[in-house]
Formats: sequence, C-alpha cells, structure tokens
Amino acid sequence: MHLPRAFLATLLAAALPLFAAPVVKTEHVEAQLLPERTHAQPGKSVVVGLRLQMIPHWHTYWKNPGDSGLPTRIKWTLPAGWSAGAIQWPHPKNLPVGPLNNYGYEDEVVLLTELTVPADAKPGTVPIKASADWLVCKEICIPEKGELDLALKVDAAPPAESDRWKPSFERARAMLPVSDAALKADAGITGKNVVLRLALPSGLPAKVTFFPERDNVIEAAAPQRVARSGDALLIEMKLQDAVPKDLPVLKGVVVADGAWPGASDRRAMEVSAPVGSPIAMAGSSASGGGTGGSATGFTGGSATGSTDVGGSVATALLFALLGGLLLNLMPCVFPVLGIKVMGFVEHAHGDAKALRMQGIVFTVGVLVSFLVLAGLMLALRAGGTQLGWGFQLQSPAFVTLLAMLFFVLALNLAGVFEWGLFAQSMTSDVSAKGRNADAFLAGVLASVVATPCTAPFMGAAVGFTLAQPAAVSLAVFLALGAGMALPVLLLSFFPALLKKLPKPGAWMETFKQVMAFPLFATVAWLAWVLGAQSGNDGVFGLLLGLVAIAIGAWIYGRWAQSESALRPVFAVLFAALGVYVAWPDATASVTPGVTANKAGELPWQAWSPEKVAELTAAGKPVFVDYTAAWCVTCQVNKRVVLNSSSVVAAFAQRGIVPLKADWTNNDPRITQSLQELGRNAVPVYVLYLPGEAKPRLLPEVLTSSLVLAEIDKLPTDTKTAITQR
Amino acid sequence: MKKVLFLAIAATFSVAALANAPAGSQAPGFTVTDLTGKPVNLADYKGKTVVLEWHNFGCPFVQKHYKSGNMQSLQKKYGNDVVWLAVNSTNKGSSDWQDPPVVTKELNGFGAAPAKYLVDEPGTIGRAYGAKTTPHMYIIDPSGKVVYNGAIDDKRSTDVADVKVAKNYVVAALDELKAGKPVSTASTTPYGCTIKYK
Repeated sequence: MHLPRAFLATLLAAALPLFAAPVVKTEHVEAQLLPERTHAQPGKSVVVGLRLQMIPHWHTYWKNPGDSGLPTRIKWTLPAGWSAGAIQWPHPKNLPVGPLNNYGYEDEVVLLTELTVPADAKPGTVPIKASADWLVCKEICIPEKGELDLALKVDAAPPAESDRWKPSFERARAMLPVSDAALKADAGITGKNVVLRLALPSGLPAKVTFFPERDNVIEAAAPQRVARSGDALLIEMKLQDAVPKDLPVLKGVVVADGAWPGASDRRAMEVSAPVGSPIAMAGSSASGGGTGGSATGFTGGSATGSTDVGGSVATALLFALLGGLLLNLMPCVFPVLGIKVMGFVEHAHGDAKALRMQGIVFTVGVLVSFLVLAGLMLALRAGGTQLGWGFQLQSPAFVTLLAMLFFVLALNLAGVFEWGLFAQSMTSDVSAKGRNADAFLAGVLASVVATPCTAPFMGAAVGFTLAQPAAVSLAVFLALGAGMALPVLLLSFFPALLKKLPKPGAWMETFKQVMAFPLFATVAWLAWVLGAQSGNDGVFGLLLGLVAIAIGAWIYGRWAQSESALRPVFAVLFAALGVYVAWPDATASVTPGVTANKAGELPWQAWSPEKVAELTAAGKPVFVDYTAAWCVTCQVNKRVVLNSSSVVAAFAQRGIVPLKADWTNNDPRITQSLQELGRNAVPVYVLYLPGEAKPRLLPEVLTSSLVLAEIDKLPTDTKTAITQR
Repeated sequence: MKKVLFLAIAATFSVAALANAPAGSQAPGFTVTDLTGKPVNLADYKGKTVVLEWHNFGCPFVQKHYKSGNMQSLQKKYGNDVVWLAVNSTNKGSSDWQDPPVVTKELNGFGAAPAKYLVDEPGTIGRAYGAKTTPHMYIIDPSGKVVYNGAIDDKRSTDVADVKVAKNYVVAALDELKAGKPVSTASTTPYGCTIKYK
C-alpha cells in the first residue's frame, strides 16, 4: 500500500506547477495565480487569473471602489517578449457601510489578465511573476501584498482547459461585463440627478444597478430608482456635488438582478451613454420599478424597498395638493379667505361668467405667488443660504410689514375708512378689471400668509422637493397652491353652491365688520412673533406705529367727502410716521431659547445636537419639539397637547427629556438638523428612544392620545417619577 | 393612506441621511468638545482660514500621511496662518475607536500639531459636512465658505513612498488662498478608509 501512495504523491507534486502557483497567505486573504489553460501556445494569448479568497465578511475593491477603498493592483514580471493586458474586472456588488457605500467583492474574486505570448517562445516552462497589492477591509482596512509566481508551460500543441480551475474561471467569466452594440444607452441631467436610459432589442431585465467607472460622478450610497418607460429602462441616480461641469459620457457597468435576456448567464453589461438633454423619469406606477441600488447604506426606506413608492413625484404632488387644501383651514389663511368669500356672496346673484373669471384669477394669484416663493427659495438654496419653508417670517421687517398690512385691512373692514378703488369694487357697477385685480391680490395675500402654517402632508412634500431638481420642486409647490385655491375655484364655477348662501343685505355690513376681528387677532399674533424676535421694545414700537397708522386711516375715512388737499396729505403723513415708528431695529434681537417654564408645563430645555447625542448616549428617551413663534400649528400643539396634564405626567413618569429647538430666528444648526430629518418646515416632533437607532417622527398635528400611545411603549421610569414628585 | 405617508417620510428621511458641504457652500457650524473636553465652536474662528482633517489612527491611509511625516509638517507649516482642526467621527462601537488619552499619546508620538482635535463620536459634524473617508480634507475661508473639499493628494494609495511624488491639493489650495487667489482645484474625490459612523 505504501509504495503506490508515495508514487501518486510524487506524480501529483510534479503535476501541480502546471495548474497553479503556490498559495500566498496573508492574514485575511489567500492569493494565487491561476492559468486558464494547460499551457501557453507561442504567438497566442493565455489568460491568467489572480484569485483572491477573502476570509468571511472581508472585502476587496472594484476598479472604482466607491466612497472609500482602493482597487487591487498587479505588477507583472514576465519573460522577454511577453506582455500583459489590463485587469478584466468582474462586476462588483454594493457594500454599504453606514451612510456610505463601496463597490467590491466578498468571498472570492478572480481578476483576469490576458498575457500575450511571443511567436518565438521556446517550449518548456517559463516563470510568470506578479506583485499584487490589495486593500482588504471589513470594519477596518488592511493593505496587503503578495509576491506571486506561476510556472507556465509553453507548448506548440493547442492547449486544453485546465480542469482544476474551470469553475473559478467560469464564474469569473460570467461576471465579466459584456459589451453589446445593440444596447442603446443615453443619459440626461436634471438638477441634481442623472437619468440613464437603456434600450435593447432582445429585451431588458426588470431591475438593474449601475456602477460608474469614474469615482466622482454619482453618489455611491444614494438609492437608484429604476422605472420602465415603454421599451426603455430608466435609472435615476443622484449626482455628486463635485461632479465635473462637463460630463460628456456616463460610463460604467449595469448589473441585472437576474440574467440579461439573450445573454445566457451574463448579468453585467458595459454602458457608455452620451449625456444629452434631460430625460424625464417615469412615474412610480410604471411596472418594473424598484430600488435599483438595492444595497444602499441608508436606514430609511431601503429595507422595505419603499423608496420607490414614497419618493415618487406623483405621491409628492398628491400630498402637496392635499396639504394645500388643508391650508385653507389654517388660522392664518382663513381670514383672508373670509374676505374673498364675502366678495363672492356679493356677486353671487350677478354675472356667473365674471364670477368664474374671478375664481380663475384668484387661483392664478395663488399659483403665481407660490411659484415666486418657490423660485426665491430655490435661488437662495442655490446660493448656499440655509433656508426652510416659512423663512420669510424669520425677518422682523417682514413680520412688521405683515402686521401693518393686516391692521389696515382690519380697519377697513371695521369701517374706519373705505378704499377709493376698493370701495368701488364692492359695488355692482365696477369694471370687471377692478374686481379681477382684487381677486388676484387676495390670492397673493392668502399665499403669503399661508406659508408658516405647515399643514399636515405638507412637511413630507416640501421635504421631498428639497432633494429634487428645480422643475420637480416647482411642480410640487404648484400642486400646493392648486390645492389651496381649489375650494374658491369650485365655488366660482358652481354658483349653485353659492345660492345656498344667504342673500346680500344689511347683514353683510355686520358680517364685514365681524371679519375685522380675526384680522385684528392675526395682528396680535404677529406682534407676539415680533416680541419673540425683537423683544419688548419691538412690540411697543409696532403698536405705537399702528396707532399712527390708525390715525391716518381715520383722517382718510372721516373726511372722505372733503375736497381738501390736506386730507390725503395728513393721511399719508401719519401712515408714514406709523411705518417709521413701527419699523424694527435690525440690531435688536432676542436670543430665542427657552422661555421660563411655568408650573404644570413640560420642563423644556434648549436643543442642541450635542445635547441629543449626550442624552441618547446616556440611554435617556428624548423628545424634540422643532418649533417657532410664528408657527401657528406649533403653538396649537404646544398648548393643546404637549402642555396638557396627561402628556406632562406621562413624560415625567417615563423620564422623557423634552428639548425645544426654537427656529423663530434663523438658526443654521436647526435648519441642518431638519434637513437631516428630511424636513424644512416646523413643526416637527421627534422621539429618540433608547435601543432604537432611528428617531421616530410624529405627525405635525398632534393629539394627546397619539403622543401617549407613542410613549406608552416605554417602561415607567420609577426613579424619575420619584424625583418629579 | 397613513402607510403611504410614512413611506414618504421614510423616503425623504433616507435622502437626507448624509448632508454635504460642497466647495462654494457655507460651512455648516458646529459646537463639539475636543480631546480635553473643552467645547470648540466653529464660529470662534470666524475671519480665519480653517482646515478640517478627518482622522482615524486605525486607518492605513491616515497612517501613510503620519508615518511619512506629511500631515504633521503641514500642520506645523500652516499653523500660524490657519486653524487646523482634526476631526474624529469614529463611533465608540468600532474597533477603530480610541479613548482620548490613547489618541493624545499617539498624537504626541507622531509629533502631530493640530490646533484642536475634535471628538465627533456621534458623527454629527461628519454627516453635516458629508465626510466620507479618513483622511477627508476641507478648507474653510475667512468668510466661512468651503473653498476646498476632497482628498489630501492625488495618489490614491497606502504607500508611504507615494507621498513625495504626489500633488498635495491642500498645500496648493492654502498657498493660493494666502496669495489672495481663488482655489483652482476646489473639489476632488477623497480617498481612504470609510468613516466608521455610528
């Protein structure tokens, strides 16, 4: 028995150099050079593979490593006359690391290189040497290298496949991207995204992932959205901020989830797409949609594959429309609508066509204002200023202007004076032009005051637009405006609804005067906002200014019949004095922070990212209220829900630390934090629970039961409960 | 309906997971403690040029620039003109996490001289700036604008020998700034190890 076994071993040892070189073992990798065929033939080429076997969960990198890492390099030392080609890279896979993403290989990879054999190569055995270095990473990265060699046999006879390594080469070849001239590809850039369009006569797979050849083109970790548009497949990807100005072609590899139709077992195709005019992304309703970059590093929707549904433009538009509708019920819009509806009542029994016209003009007024606001925000965003929705109310000057405007409108409604032109527009013989101008202005006014009232649904829609190209942002804002204008538009088109409203008469004067009070209330609220921004002195100045304006309005109204030229002069003089006195001092500002906590209210502390980090690290549940003095919804939530006895008690019992992020004046840290939450408007309510990596977002409109249900899952903190008593 | 709403929120949330401070944008502000536990606020350095260097001694790419003496010499060379802040966004759970005393010892051992070494364990600053690798370099000009965002140099390797032959982007940018010229290469792709975010 001994002899045959020893004989066999000797035979095997002699045969081994034919098949593989010795294995180089490093701490994390086993490396060796493999010949694809039994021997090399003079004048032909032979393929050699560098096989890297990584220990479990460690990886090496593709030619573009993604957000970090380094591609494997091979330096060849070959006999005279021989030459080596470039590495033929098998397609990579996504290797997400936290919020980042890499492209590479786990387990085993075989990197193929074609060696050209000179025609005069002598039969025999030649040494092939390769010095390879690779970066192998898991959590940490280790640069490793190996000096590899392979004794390759040269023979004039045609070589056979090397059976020993056949499966490895087959796998490597199956992973090589193929190029197919029939694959039509082009790309277009829209804002911050690039859309790659693929079309192939023999069909396309349902899902693909794109891996860019260059490292500074697309965000490696951003989800890729795939949709079908007719016969083409669209892949939408986020561009990097530092993307070069001119990107003539988008090159890379597209990898299918399954096989490419008609490409046997090949899953990867080479793509070189000229970048031309923008390509519209098909809606999420298209079949075959899905998260392309299936392995994104994000904690968001990727796990459930929901990004496609949630992130779609169509959904955002729907939410924007709903949000706009709900804006009508917000306390800051309602008074303005009141004025408008009153005008309708007046004209209800008149000309239906004129009424329709007014409805349309009002809608146009709303839409134009929303476009202007959106455009302004986009322009400022492009300029690098950190802004959020409702930003204009962060300016004390704007608040003052708005207060004065509402005050004058309220005085008018209360009957202190009548507008020259405006008064005429209230009578039946006014020209259609005047009424339309009035309707337009009402639309503008309604939009301007609506912005701080972030209605439910609106947060998500506006947050979505921030990450989108300008065109999409504008569309979302338009949908928001359309939703807001819809009720008025409907009323104007279906006067039948208006017939249900009472006939005009003396009651209307009463109604008009009553409508003055919500406006006065709005002025009071604005004064309070200003107080939070500029302090007591600011409020005093505003109120004094308003008194002067009131005197001006009174003079204008009291001597309405007078022909004296002094009447308008005095009126304007007092109005000007009012504006002068009310104008806020730009230098005076109050640090917005935590107002003194009253008994029976939550023990608010000032928010900071460090504070959140510190408390969550200590295992404490944290509740953050992103709020602002000018945000009505915030105040309503605070008074009705957050400071209700049941919520206060529940917070104390469970040791929840309430933090207040006050955005009354612009605070870039809060803007930043909101952006991280995908929002740019307040209110936003966030609950950080121990043991949960992701914070919980609560809806914008809170109810006590909702908050209690959310915190009910927490165990009672007995220690805190005792100290609270 | 509720489900769709939550999905929409989840989607918007995921898109904003890693913010970014591209060259030309306003540098995001921050307050964070340094190795000695003292608070450091970016606003304190208004009017000065600030260099942010993302750091992690466990990373071979960082080691390349310290073992070669490259990073320390830059910190010393520009120390008078700029505020050099090293930032470490490694989370405590990572094997690369080092306690402040250990980091201090290592820094001293290498003769490193950053003005401050910031411990960004929660990754707040890293995420705000969109820092991806160690090292990842940012230069903030006296007006608070990011004027450079990217790699330390153009040799993507862990090989110490490459430092000498590489074009150092940070040196180029700082020299241009000093000469009152605009930074010609304002952004490059950073290379190195992935930042071990929480």
